[in-house]
Amino acid sequence: MTDRPLWELAADVRGGTLSPVELTEACLARIARLDARLRAFITVDAARAREAARERAAEARRGRIAGPLHGIPLAYKDLYAVRGLPCSAGTKLDQYFVAEREATAVSRLAAAGAITLGTLNLSELALGPFGDNAHRGDPQNPWRAGHVTGGSSSGSAVAVAAGLACAALGTDTGGSIRLPAAACGVVGLKPTYGRVSRAGVLPLAWSLDHVGPLARTVRDAALLLGLLAGPDPHDATASRRPVPDYVAALAVPVTGLRVGVPRNYYWDGVDDAVVEAVREAIALLGRLGARIGEIALPDPRVLVDVANVLARVESAAVHARLVREQPHALQPAVRARLEVGFRIGAVDYLQAARLRARLTRAFLPDVFGEVDVLAMPTIPEPAPTLEAVRAGTTDEVVRRMGRFSRLTRPWNALGLPALSVPCGFSPAGLPIGLQLVGRPFDEATVLRAGHAYEQAAGWWRRRPPLD
Amino acid sequence: MTDGADRPLAGDVADLLAAIERAAADLGLAEEPARFVAALEAGAPRDDEPGAAT
Repeated sequence: MTDRPLWELAADVRGGTLSPVELTEACLARIARLDARLRAFITVDAARAREAARERAAEARRGRIAGPLHGIPLAYKDLYAVRGLPCSAGTKLDQYFVAEREATAVSRLAAAGAITLGTLNLSELALGPFGDNAHRGDPQNPWRAGHVTGGSSSGSAVAVAAGLACAALGTDTGGSIRLPAAACGVVGLKPTYGRVSRAGVLPLAWSLDHVGPLARTVRDAALLLGLLAGPDPHDATASRRPVPDYVAALAVPVTGLRVGVPRNYYWDGVDDAVVEAVREAIALLGRLGARIGEIALPDPRVLVDVANVLARVESAAVHARLVREQPHALQPAVRARLEVGFRIGAVDYLQAARLRARLTRAFLPDVFGEVDVLAMPTIPEPAPTLEAVRAGTTDEVVRRMGRFSRLTRPWNALGLPALSVPCGFSPAGLPIGLQLVGRPFDEATVLRAGHAYEQAAGWWRRRPPLD
Repeated sequence: MTDGADRPLAGDVADLLAAIERAAADLGLAEEPARFVAALEAGAPRDDEPGAAT
């Protein structure tokens, strides 16, 4: 049951053929059986989940359906303020972040009927693309133990891939939704900057932070985005643009859709198995009717520099007190990255922010005048081992982090919607992700392309060998 | 390597800031960070396009 897409389970609950109690118990049983080795959760709130499931079941029997997620168990990266639960942000402190109110994203999903299972593991402070966490236990890749999960929303991807939750929320500052989605073989969506409120979510770097779902299918992600998106008085950056019907948009065929394949940067140094899988995925989109063409993109390296400056300064500001008062409480690579921010001046920071505005203004007409969607790999390599990513000095570890996220970070700098969809496996059986990027606020087209590919390719039906 | 993604360390700050300074050399006087969000809003699909609100 926990293998099925969220949208199917939700339809069964609404139709009265599946009880929220049965579904919640199935998730909790799976967590009890698997999570000691997978380490997806930081806090499992079994008692309140059971209580909420009983309430939802009673409501359903009376014909009262709260919304499209009625009785669906979800879980949240431990960066979200969830009513009644501590938020460690992956630090060794049990309660690092205390928000004024529950995260808007969590409240919106709860209002749609969702049940909260608990909070999910992550890279410390969401600052790390591999997803490991020495304080909370390293999440394990469900496809192959001992390999990284991708991060920083590592627990979110593991929980979805392993069937511990029907979907999860993550955050993405440089790839932190898409990297774990790709490495764990699930769908991950970073929406447009401003599409989803970030209120009640601990920032890492507010100029680059995005809230978004990890799910089993693109349709699930579309359903969740429709509930999450929209203005929020608690987040001034949340756009007032109307929210499309993302699920309805999936029905539009991809015939004639212009898919651009970057000529530069996005294939440099990429593993052969990843190149082969992603090229084949793009070819399949072509066979489905999309028009595939190559495109030379503006040099992304300056975008990555811009993102580096913004991320380092803002994260240093957010966590300045922790870095100064308890530096040894932080993992060495996390501390090293935070400390960089203190060495960058205000003028350089503002020049980077000004540059970002100009680069974005130039990029949009240049690229989206030619194509509707861009397609490329999400990660340059299949998930490496935990041992491999930790080898060497702190400097070597941090440089390895930069290379791992080099294909996702430009899209945070530009604030564009970016989706990772499973597109095959390496010879060692590790998942590979196809990354699709669209125009601002055009998640509908990105999701449509991802859905068409996903349904034709069928990788989403595969499950990790856990049972 | 000169890849920006490989400049994440304290020892790389000078190179990183030099790259930003070079790229920012010809920024217009009126350029400001808020124009980033304005660019996203302006670049969104028009109402008659497939991604527009329904």
